[in-house]
Amino acid sequence: MLLDRADQILRGYAGAADGRASKNQLAGILIVLFIFGCLYGAVMGLYSLIYGHRFLQLVYSATKVPLLLLASFGLSLPFFFVLNSLLGLRDDFFHSLRALLATQAGLTIILSSLSPLTLLWYISFDNYNSAILFNAVIFGCSSVLAQTILMNLLGPLIQKNQRHRITLLAWLIIYAFVGIQMSWILRPFIGDPKSPTHFFRQDAWGNAYIKLIQIITGLFSA
Amino acid sequence: MLKWLKQLDQILRGEATKPALLKDSQFDIPIAGLCVCLIILSAFFGACIGSFNLLHPLDKDAVLTFKDVWMQTVASAIKMPLLFTLTLLITLPSLYVFNAINGSRLSLMSVLRLLIASLGVLIAVLASLGPIIIFFSLCTTSYSFMQLLNVAVCTVSGSLGLAFLLRTLNRLILPQPQESPAMSAPKVPEITIPATLPDGTIPLRSLTGPLERTAPTDRKAKSIFRVWTIVFALVGAQMSWVLRPFIGSPHLPFEWLRHREGNFFMAVIQAIQNMFS
Repeated sequence: MLLDRADQILRGYAGAADGRASKNQLAGILIVLFIFGCLYGAVMGLYSLIYGHRFLQLVYSATKVPLLLLASFGLSLPFFFVLNSLLGLRDDFFHSLRALLATQAGLTIILSSLSPLTLLWYISFDNYNSAILFNAVIFGCSSVLAQTILMNLLGPLIQKNQRHRITLLAWLIIYAFVGIQMSWILRPFIGDPKSPTHFFRQDAWGNAYIKLIQIITGLFSA
Repeated sequence: MLKWLKQLDQILRGEATKPALLKDSQFDIPIAGLCVCLIILSAFFGACIGSFNLLHPLDKDAVLTFKDVWMQTVASAIKMPLLFTLTLLITLPSLYVFNAINGSRLSLMSVLRLLIASLGVLIAVLASLGPIIIFFSLCTTSYSFMQLLNVAVCTVSGSLGLAFLLRTLNRLILPQPQESPAMSAPKVPEITIPATLPDGTIPLRSLTGPLERTAPTDRKAKSIFRVWTIVFALVGAQMSWVLRPFIGSPHLPFEWLRHREGNFFMAVIQAIQNMFS
């Protein structure tokens, strides 16, 4: 049942505008997103279970992945809605919304399918920083792959009206901008075995972009 | 309230500015309710901006008291509608004159309605970005970053609002294609609308958005309006500087208005320098 739904999302049926599209389907997409998001989050958190013997971190990590995706999604949504209206695409709004949500769900499925690799990496290398780096690579690859799903779903819309390209671009910019900051404050996802278990890290509260600028200016001033 | 939101929605969807409706070169939309709606939305955005010091953990060397940060939120919520009203009053006469120069028959009331509708687009976009401002307020301690983020948000909103204004002006003033087939310059590719969508439903409306180019436009008229939009942007930017603080520096006590000094653009450059130092 769940795998059926997941398969439909990957093949681009779930977000497509056909007769079967309904609210029920939207709920189905959300369920898939939640379950597969938790799955990859749990695998991410396995690191602290393996090397720190902490189960709680694993639970935290599992809930954080869907939280990250849905919170970024929710924050970016109002602007996407207004932009769609302004460009005269309101009639297609629910279609695009479903496509974007299905892409998010697709991303979690792709992540989950790559999770055995993460596990292998954890078992092979006992190094917290390399674990972070590997997860970043996995997230990067999955995001690129998820674009295929997005283009499958939105292709017909873009063919119908080129302006969907503009809203899509605006969406990706806003979503990335919010998502990067969101993932920064939701740290730790993996959980350093040397530091105590937290849902939020005490010193994690901050601005990712400011941090980045500080690192870059630090490089040049040194 | 719902009715007013609906009016705003019609503007956003372009139903209030459909070429067919604008044929008589007059712009008649009910604005009383819309104004209330816009005041509320802009106050909401003002509160989003002003809550920066309320939401993020304050530094040790911050001088603000608890009352100050609340006052800043309230003050920004009051000042934001004021900012738009004052900008409107300052730019209205020049828009009317520029219109007249371009040979439009728009009355002053129509120009006012048009400007309010454009502000409607601007404020709707601003308000939709409000949650993102709040999110960044929650986890940012850098005042310069918030300044620049707000400038960016306002730039995006302003561009969309002014794009709406320009398009609507073009529709109002310049000859419609059906009226003067002689002026058929290269056309925007037509979008074919299928009689039924793939899911079997019939499309209710055409796909024309409010930002759609509708007619080949007169170059001179266009450049005159372009100049005017620059004036509008400059006035808005400087007005926001006059009415500052909206965000409120954590290192300065709360004031309704700061002393007259500097200008908007120097402040933006200063903020960029602060962020990179």
